[in-house]
Amino acid sequence: MLMLLLAPFTLVLGLFFVIPLGIIMVYSFLEPGLYGGVEWNWYPYNYGRIIGWPLNEYEEFDPIYLKIFLNSVQIALMTVIGTLVLCYPAAFWVARMTGTRKNLILFLVTLPFFANMLVRIYAWLLLLRPTGFFNTMLQSTGVIVEPLDLLFTNFSVIVGMVYILTPFMFLPIYVNVEKLDWSLVRASQDLGANPLQTFRRVILPLTAPGIIAGSLIVFIPALGNFIVPSFLGGSKVQMTGNLIERSFLQSRDWPFGAALALLIMASVVALILFQLSRQRKSDMRGGA
Amino acid sequence: MMFDKIFGSSLWPKLFTGYGLLFLTFLYMPLGLIFVYSFNGNAINMSDWTGFTFDWYLTIFGGANSQSTFDAAFTESPDRIFEVVRNSAVVAFCASSISTVIGTATAIAMQRFNFFGKRLYGALLVLPMVVPDIVLGIALLIFFVGAGFELGLLTIIIGHVTFLSSYVFVVVSARLAGMDTSLEQASADLGAGPIATFWRVTLPQIMPGVVGGFLLAFIISLDDVVITYFIAGVGSQTLPLFILAMMRRGLRPQINALAVLLLAFTFVVAAVGLFLRSRKS
Repeated sequence: MLMLLLAPFTLVLGLFFVIPLGIIMVYSFLEPGLYGGVEWNWYPYNYGRIIGWPLNEYEEFDPIYLKIFLNSVQIALMTVIGTLVLCYPAAFWVARMTGTRKNLILFLVTLPFFANMLVRIYAWLLLLRPTGFFNTMLQSTGVIVEPLDLLFTNFSVIVGMVYILTPFMFLPIYVNVEKLDWSLVRASQDLGANPLQTFRRVILPLTAPGIIAGSLIVFIPALGNFIVPSFLGGSKVQMTGNLIERSFLQSRDWPFGAALALLIMASVVALILFQLSRQRKSDMRGGA
Repeated sequence: MMFDKIFGSSLWPKLFTGYGLLFLTFLYMPLGLIFVYSFNGNAINMSDWTGFTFDWYLTIFGGANSQSTFDAAFTESPDRIFEVVRNSAVVAFCASSISTVIGTATAIAMQRFNFFGKRLYGALLVLPMVVPDIVLGIALLIFFVGAGFELGLLTIIIGHVTFLSSYVFVVVSARLAGMDTSLEQASADLGAGPIATFWRVTLPQIMPGVVGGFLLAFIISLDDVVITYFIAGVGSQTLPLFILAMMRRGLRPQINALAVLLLAFTFVVAAVGLFLRSRKS
């Protein structure tokens, strides 16, 4: 019975998840074929290329791909900070409410999560482009004469990412704030702590699990995203995701794309393992 | 309210309400802008309101009379739109149906049985939701090409099932965890076999979770861009890929109309799903 119930998903996961990920790993160590595809030769230079190692005597050391990766990490981190700053107070706002009102607001906050990602990015194109909403407003009110370059900057990419990923940050923080034990907060006040001390010493540590969970599930999709930078970053802002997309669909250098994908994957796995080990440590401390 | 007492001042609630309204504005203003622009008659500059029109909605279905030659060159024929909508519907329906069966079966097995390595297996089950889309997309692309699959609707459905089953598994598991098992025991005591118990007792109880999981899977499949982008073939464009191609050619008012229709549809499905999930049986 157990076997029968588990068989379908196990089969799907094995065939279409574990094996493909394994193939990426193998491909990342193979030589790119001249016309796409791979040559079955041991070829660690895909990784060398990422850190800028010169392939032959005609090339120089140039860590351009590493720089793009570091910029992607930076954008993903700024996205985490942006969503956190936006959602933290909002979570308290909703947690304060009661009854139907609360359910309605929760529904309104959750709903944009289901809006198509492309449509949400498209909305920001309409807002930020030279003839877009913001520039038109600023020009018609006489604040600026020439349109500002709002698009195709790290800033516009971060704004787009924050917009897309806000629900991912809101929900974990909200769940945490919702079950916050307010008697502890009151105790801190009774013992003479000022609001800032209460926040730093009591509220922040108690809501930390929500903050960490939210940060992780925002950081992961932000790091690998290539749709947001390709529209809101143009050719000016490149992320590792754009490089992967191009190696597969344009330059047809699959092994290099596979190596980059593994770099993203490794960062994600490292983050999750780090978080799990922290959690285990704090659990053990809590139990002792 | 305890919260207000703690902060003492009556200013805090006002500050939070004000902030909350700003937060909602941030969430909805960009989408609202698309909605407003979709009725703007100005074909050249959307930010400049020149009058109300339904033309953009009509043009995407091939019914506008005011279509200029420039727009005719830009807009795909309505047949194309019907084709991509049909593709999207077929993929979303097949993928979410298969995922619902697979995810529900897995959730029941994981709740009922204990076996060696269950925790590790449980982690593997949710991994497809954690892996970045782009990694799963190219992994599937390499696999399908290597295994000789022809890229098309079938590969998209398979790709979607891989990660949608995880979502259904999580939603149904949550429902199962809150279920009263005494009814199942009563059913068994009264002589019903395991299959009869499942159909008559278990399934009706977890039905809101199953339907909620199905709807969630349906929307995610319908909206998916990244994974579909890599594993779609030449003749199997879906609606999001169609919008992506339109956006790459330039921003035109027809995109507004199409975006509003897609948003309206997903919001209705999502609202039904959220309602079902919140309902206590």
